[in-house]
Amino acid sequence: MHGTRVTSRLTRRNFILTGATAAGGLMIGIGAGPRSAHAATVMAQPWNDDHAYAPNEIDSWIAIDPDDSILIRYQRSEMGQGSMTAVPMMMAEELQCDWSKVRIEYASPNRNIRENKVYGGMFSNGSRSVRASQKLVQQVGASARERLIAAAAARWNVPASECSAAMSVVGHKPSGRTLRYGELAADAAKIKLAKEPAIKTPAQFTFIPRAMPRIDVVHKTDGSAKFGMDAQVPGMVFAAIMACPVPGGKLKSVDDSVLNGAPGVLKVVKLPNAVAVVATDTYWRAKRALSRLQPQWDVGAAGTVDSEQLSSAFRAALSEPMLTARNQGDVDKAFAGATKTFEAVYETPYLSHSPMEPMNATVNLQPDRLDVWVGTQAADEALEAAAKASGLKDEQVYIHNGFVGGGFGRRDANDEVRQAIAIAKAVGRPVKLVWTREEDTRQDKFRPHAVVGFKAAVGADGVPVAWSMRAVTSSIFASVGRKFPAGKVEPQTVAGLADNGYKVPNMRVESLVKNTHLPVWFWRAPGANQHVFAIESFLDEMATAANIDPYQMRRKLLAGRPDWLKVLDTAAEKGDWGKPLPAGSGRGIAICTDTDSLCAQVAEVTVTPSGEVKVNRVTVALDTRYMVNPQTIAEQAEGSVIFGLSAALYGKITIKDGAAVQSNFDTYRMVRLAEAPKIDVHLMPSGGKVWGGAGEPATPPIAAAVANAIFAATGKRIRSLPISDHNLAGSA
Amino acid sequence: MTTISRMAFCGLLVLFAVAGGNARADENTSPPGNPGEYLARAGNCVSCHSIPGGKAFAGGLQMGSPLGNIYSTNITPDPETGIGGYSLADFDRALRQGIAKDGHRLYPAMPYPSYAKLTDADVAALYEFFMKQVPPVHQANRPNEIPSYLDFRWPLAIWSALFTDSGSYVAKSGHDAEWNRGAYLVQGLGHCGACHTPRGFAFQEEALDESSADYLSGALLDAWYAPVLRGDQRTGLGSWSKDDIVSFLKSGHNKGSAVFGSMIDVVNNSTPYMSDADLSAIAVYLKSLPATSSQPAYAYNDATTTALRGGHAAQPGAALYAGVCWACHGYDGKGFAPYTPALAGNPVVLDKDPSSLINLVLNGSNPVVVKGTPDSYRMPQFRLQLADQQIADVVTFIRNGWGNQAPAVTAAQVAELRKTTDPNSDQVIILKMR
Amino acid sequence: MITIEVNGTPKHVDVEPDTPLLWVLRDVVGLTGTKFGCGIAQCGACTVHVDGKPMRSCSVPIGALDGAKVTTIEGLSSDNNHPVQRAWIAEDVPQCGYCQSGQIMATVAFLKDYPNPTDADIDTNITNICRCGTYERLRRAIHRAADMMKA
Ligand code: FES
Ligand code: FES
Repeated sequence: MHGTRVTSRLTRRNFILTGATAAGGLMIGIGAGPRSAHAATVMAQPWNDDHAYAPNEIDSWIAIDPDDSILIRYQRSEMGQGSMTAVPMMMAEELQCDWSKVRIEYASPNRNIRENKVYGGMFSNGSRSVRASQKLVQQVGASARERLIAAAAARWNVPASECSAAMSVVGHKPSGRTLRYGELAADAAKIKLAKEPAIKTPAQFTFIPRAMPRIDVVHKTDGSAKFGMDAQVPGMVFAAIMACPVPGGKLKSVDDSVLNGAPGVLKVVKLPNAVAVVATDTYWRAKRALSRLQPQWDVGAAGTVDSEQLSSAFRAALSEPMLTARNQGDVDKAFAGATKTFEAVYETPYLSHSPMEPMNATVNLQPDRLDVWVGTQAADEALEAAAKASGLKDEQVYIHNGFVGGGFGRRDANDEVRQAIAIAKAVGRPVKLVWTREEDTRQDKFRPHAVVGFKAAVGADGVPVAWSMRAVTSSIFASVGRKFPAGKVEPQTVAGLADNGYKVPNMRVESLVKNTHLPVWFWRAPGANQHVFAIESFLDEMATAANIDPYQMRRKLLAGRPDWLKVLDTAAEKGDWGKPLPAGSGRGIAICTDTDSLCAQVAEVTVTPSGEVKVNRVTVALDTRYMVNPQTIAEQAEGSVIFGLSAALYGKITIKDGAAVQSNFDTYRMVRLAEAPKIDVHLMPSGGKVWGGAGEPATPPIAAAVANAIFAATGKRIRSLPISDHNLAGSA
Repeated sequence: MTTISRMAFCGLLVLFAVAGGNARADENTSPPGNPGEYLARAGNCVSCHSIPGGKAFAGGLQMGSPLGNIYSTNITPDPETGIGGYSLADFDRALRQGIAKDGHRLYPAMPYPSYAKLTDADVAALYEFFMKQVPPVHQANRPNEIPSYLDFRWPLAIWSALFTDSGSYVAKSGHDAEWNRGAYLVQGLGHCGACHTPRGFAFQEEALDESSADYLSGALLDAWYAPVLRGDQRTGLGSWSKDDIVSFLKSGHNKGSAVFGSMIDVVNNSTPYMSDADLSAIAVYLKSLPATSSQPAYAYNDATTTALRGGHAAQPGAALYAGVCWACHGYDGKGFAPYTPALAGNPVVLDKDPSSLINLVLNGSNPVVVKGTPDSYRMPQFRLQLADQQIADVVTFIRNGWGNQAPAVTAAQVAELRKTTDPNSDQVIILKMR
Repeated sequence: MITIEVNGTPKHVDVEPDTPLLWVLRDVVGLTGTKFGCGIAQCGACTVHVDGKPMRSCSVPIGALDGAKVTTIEGLSSDNNHPVQRAWIAEDVPQCGYCQSGQIMATVAFLKDYPNPTDADIDTNITNICRCGTYERLRRAIHRAADMMKA
């Protein structure tokens, strides 16, 4: 059944059960929100219903109705990064269609299985949604366009070469005849091209880059946008869960007799490492009932671990042998002959992702079909996980991805999906599982704790001639369960260090993995989000020691790298680098590469006499190489700065007795509007072979830019995060 | 799970804010199923004689004393480490005179000056309970950390001679049975004075019964101010009806207030398990204690509400209230009683000593667990979000809004409490005598 | 049985009186536009209007609301045409969008009291958390909405 059909039939905004499919699955429709004046639309419920293919499909991606309205399927996730707008824009670029007639929905992960991965990878991480889709999506659009042209040519019986397409119309110049896409779609669907057309080069783009409002925004202003949290399945029950606070621990026992006969409580479900309570009427009832249980955990040795131990263990490991990630010149020789050397150790804590939407999943498990409603960054991986957990075949599993209420890397582990399925098995009814905020924080898979030891030798001019960087952190791949080849350096463990752009004759970057019982995960700009703070702060230490302006120091070391210099100079210029500031205020600068993009930032900070840090203004220069929708790129840069700023100023997960101490927003602080700096973003795509990412590269520099600004304002050097751990009172 | 270890879970909840509740859902213990257990509940022995995650009554709880840290003892019937070897007479001496079996004097962290008032029958019932129903736990007592040059116990003999009235409670004529029952519970097992009566030069309670105006006239302990339990209009129980008191002890809430701080111990472990008759007796007795200060009755004034709503409340702290506190306590300062407390006219807000308010804003509140079910709502902590001056401003604003009148609070007062209650600091305040 | 009026429609709900309004709205009434973010009045994702006043519904016990009139994001306007909503669309504010129902409801109530808000007014009164960090546009949208409401 087709999305629009549902739309036209249903007017209510909330979910409505519209019947059961042959497969016995639920068909859930929802009314569309008001259309944005300017552009393409998406349904408030973004997922494909998975019951039948759309009529008028040209292929698995595109359907064109007789009225010219076009359905474009988006194969990855929309978690606020705007790719659900940008990726179809790339397709529209090739399709030469009228953007205002485009309607977008999620592609079906189930169909991806049945049609042998026709949509390719369906995950959104590593800022890949656009850049990794670009070739495939352009090709899909180009092929559809050529088939529409071929259909028209056949209709007119003229050579296709005489026809061209624009704004959803195929025209035949010589005769002046035209046909609308809606009139051609049916024929085009039958046409097979002899060979695939070449895709446009960026130089040939006419539609992109273009600042476009995000298609999902309208639904996100009237409450109609459906997140995983909002799934409503007839007959569903509500589950609250508490997993062992110490990762890796097991449930020893829990006395559930206290809930005997408790009204509305359906079942207490014991899982190997968690206990869940299922209630019939509200999630609240489940949560309250859960709070009455006193589960006993088997936590083993991990139960004695705390942050101090981990910190000293990581610092001690700095002197252990490491794997070499990058090595040029002869660092040791240079040190031997050096007159002036610097050493410093930088440390960054564990962090929680804390997306605004706590983890949740709703499942309807039937003998021959499993439906899962969830906001996930990796619908395809969710499908595999769900199939495994349920014992069903991949093609029997239907993942209905919602709008994702924040991902930042957290939402591709699918642990919540596995839990929900286990609970559904136990109760035999559709289940909505929701984590409390406390659970979401404690059961996060954290941004790894990292320690970096630097040693550098500088020449007479104070510019570094030898630089050693030794990084100790945990392996994300190990947590994910992907075996990483022994002896090879895992990229995240040196990201932000090994990829630095500085020209220093002797440079060595080494990595040592120290894994703990704590699961670590991809967190916006993995690796770089902690290492850039370290390397960019340490470079400042050398600059100030040599009385070289930190911006000029970077210029010296980036000589001959025009793209790096361009972002650096732009940030410095637009950020008023060098202009006078009142006492107690200062500016800091930092630069990095991440996901093949470049980002430089200048932060302007005031430190009050009582030691409070106020970040007044941040100037961002960002080179993503290419752009589809500059507006969403700018939004991502703004968001990345705030995300990185929360971490820099306040972010810290403390471990006590093996478990995370922080639990809710009162103990895990976020930047709020009052603390949010003014942010100006300057975009400067430099082109080249690769496309850069947009969702992450603006996160890493902010911590260093702010810490360097604090030094400029107070002379106090911050070598560990968060900044709130440092008492700056009276330093300004 | 035995009753006892369930009691221990209360202790655990009391001392640490861990999620979950005492896995006990029993009906009101009225009439007491087991007299000894009932009395142990009324005396709240478990709160001090257990540690989080530890076995009930096995002791080990650290308490600060003016001389140094002391640790509560193992009172399970284990022969070596507990009181298994105690005869009824030994038990009695420890309980009512503060003298252990081996003859050494107990530090008065053990409220024997109050327990001295117990009847022989109740002492016997308690003995029965501890000997027969409490499972023995083999756990050696932790030595106290009182420097040896101070650890002379003999002065304690004089201390207790001075500050302990010997002899069980004697019913006062001119008062009915209910009042006398209330007096017996409040002065004796309830040892309410341990927190609510100011202490004197030797850390003794200034008074042990209603004969003195000092009795239950409020005191600062554990960085919490234990409020006046006398008839004072604004800062005491003057504005509370007998039913307000009963509902507070039964549920931790009433028309305008909610329990917090150390008193959470008592509600989590003790008072909700007492019979309605006893709670009402306690209320009758407390209501009979005259005010020590003449205070005009509190009158609500909605000027603050209008100012907050209109965004023109000028006082420092008003903006902060409108941005943060309003969500649970309302622009009108009335909260959502009985679920969340009112600030308008709340005795705790009106008291001259702001310690409790500051402490609550800094550190939030542990969950109240009534008969095994934690409260629905909790006070978040603002230690990380608000600076000393901000907290001083907002607390001052609260203490003077909606007709409230109480002295302003300084940033220095907040800074002091921030230090002494910092969970990460090593000299964080620990339980003192109670 | 407690009766509240939600977006103009009376609802009779039969839940424990200490149940937060948030869960009544989401699970009983079935309006999911109001979001759960923290449950302790810290984030504002659950903001609705009760008798015209903003409230963080996760911390409002239904037992205290008998007879109250509740407006949720779904009831703010018939077709997304409230000035604040239009300002939000014009500034392209939402990213993941999860916090935005609350941001919008908080702003609508705020602008009633502050028709000409300064940045300082906004800072002290709009305390909702946005994890995606949309603050830059959010601030612009608040000012824009204020202007639209005057126009
Ligand atoms: S969910 Fe209500 S304030 Fe966060
Ligand atoms: S838009 Fe994502 S949390 Fe605000």
